Amino acid sequence: MKMISDLLITALFTVFIQNLVLSSGLGMSEAIRVSTRPGTFGRFALMISGFSVVTSVICSLINTVSGFASLPFAGKAAVYAGVLAGVYIIAALIMKIVFRASDKLLGTFGIAALNTLVFAVPFINESAAYSFADAIGSGIGAGIAFVLAAALISKGSEALERNESIPEAFRGTPSMLIYVGLLSLAFAGFADSTLFA
Amino acid sequence: MNKNPSFKDILKKGALIYNPVLVQLVGLCPVVAASTTFVQAAALSVAMCIELFVACFAASAFLRNIPRWMRVPVYFLIGIMFVCPVLYYFETYSLINISLGMKIYIPLTAINSVVAVHCEQFAVKNSVRLALYDAAASGIGVSVIFLITGAVREILGNATFAGFAVNIPVTLRGMTLPFGCLILLGFLAAGLKAFTAKYFPVREEKEEAAEATAAEEVPETNPVPTAEEFASSDLDEFLKTLGIEIPAEEDGKK
Repeated sequence: MKMISDLLITALFTVFIQNLVLSSGLGMSEAIRVSTRPGTFGRFALMISGFSVVTSVICSLINTVSGFASLPFAGKAAVYAGVLAGVYIIAALIMKIVFRASDKLLGTFGIAALNTLVFAVPFINESAAYSFADAIGSGIGAGIAFVLAAALISKGSEALERNESIPEAFRGTPSMLIYVGLLSLAFAGFADSTLFA
Repeated sequence: MNKNPSFKDILKKGALIYNPVLVQLVGLCPVVAASTTFVQAAALSVAMCIELFVACFAASAFLRNIPRWMRVPVYFLIGIMFVCPVLYYFETYSLINISLGMKIYIPLTAINSVVAVHCEQFAVKNSVRLALYDAAASGIGVSVIFLITGAVREILGNATFAGFAVNIPVTLRGMTLPFGCLILLGFLAAGLKAFTAKYFPVREEKEEAAEATAAEEVPETNPVPTAEEFASSDLDEFLKTLGIEIPAEEDGKK
C-alpha cells in the first residue's frame, strides 16, 4: 500500500508541482512540436511514460550495484545513456519485427524516447534518492507532465493566433515563447525552487 | 541555384535567419534551464559545438546507409562519447564551478533536438564539407543565444558577469529561473524577427508559414534536401529541408 501511495505522490508531484517540462525546460522543444497535433497527445503520453518507467527502473537497479555510486558523474551519464539507447533500440526492433511498425511510427517512437525529458528522469531519481516505487511514479509522471504542457501550449497558441492586437514583431514564435514563459512562471510558483539544488 | 554554397551563405541562413533556438524552436532545454551564468553558457556552448561537429561529420561520412530509426540513437551515443569526456575534464580539473544541475545538462546536450534535426535533415544528405559548414553555422547560432542569455540572466539575476560584481540598482531573481529565460527569448525572437523582416524581406513574406510550421513534427518521408536548396531557397524550401510541411488549413487562412 505504501508503495502505491509513494508512486502516486511522486507522479502527482512530477506532473503538477514540479512539471518537468514547464519548470525545468526538459523536453520543451518536443512539447511545442507536439502541441500542434492534439490528436497525438495520448500516444505520446503512453510512449514517454513507458520509456521513462522502463529506463528509470533499470537505472534504479543499476544504482544499487556496489561501486556504481563512486563512479564520476560523467561515467554515470554514459551508463544511463547506454540504458536509454538500449531500451529504445530493443523497443523499436520489437515494433519493427513483431508488429511490422511503419517507419513513420518508429520516427514518433524516436521522438518520444530520445529526448531530454526521458533522459533526465534517471538523473532526477538519483539526485532525489527516489525509491523503486518513486522511480516508477516519476516515469509515469514525466509522460503526463509532457502532455499537460503540450495541451496548455496548444490551447494558448490557438488564442494567440486569434489575437489581432499582438504587435507584428511579436506574432508567432516570440509570443509563443513569452506565453510558455508565463506558464513556466506559474509552475515555478508551485515548485518554489529550481529542480536541482 | 547555387550548387556550391559558401560558408557565408550557410552561416547567414543557419545561424541568423533561421536561428535554431529563436526561429526553429529546437534546443530550448539547455538554453532555458542551464544558461544561468555566462560561464555555464560558455561551457554548454563548447559541449554543444563539439557534439554538433562530431555528430554531423559521422552522419555525413558513415551513417547514410543505416535506417533512420537506427541513426537517431547513434547520434545520441556518438554525442555521449564526446560530451562525457568533456564533462569529466571539467569535473576533474575544476575548470569551472559546476553545479549538479549543470552536470546534468551537459550530457543532456547529447540528446538535444538541434543535433538530431541538423544531422538527420541536412548532414546525412550532403557532403562532409557542407555538413561541417552547417554544424558550424548552427553551433554559432545556438552558442550566441547561449552566451547572450547567460550574460543577461547573470547580470540581471545575480548582479555579476562571469563572476565579477556588476553595479546595477536592482536584481531580478526570476531571470535565473526558466520563465525568465523564456520571456527573454521571446523578446530576442521578436528582435530577430524585426531585423530579418527589414534586412531579409523574403522571410517576411513567408513569416506566417514559418510560424505555423516551426513547431510541426518532422515527418518521415521528405523530399531530399540538397545543399543548393539550403543555400538559395526561400523559406518553404528551407522548411522542407527540416522536414516541415505547411498544413493545408494554414494555407487556407491566408
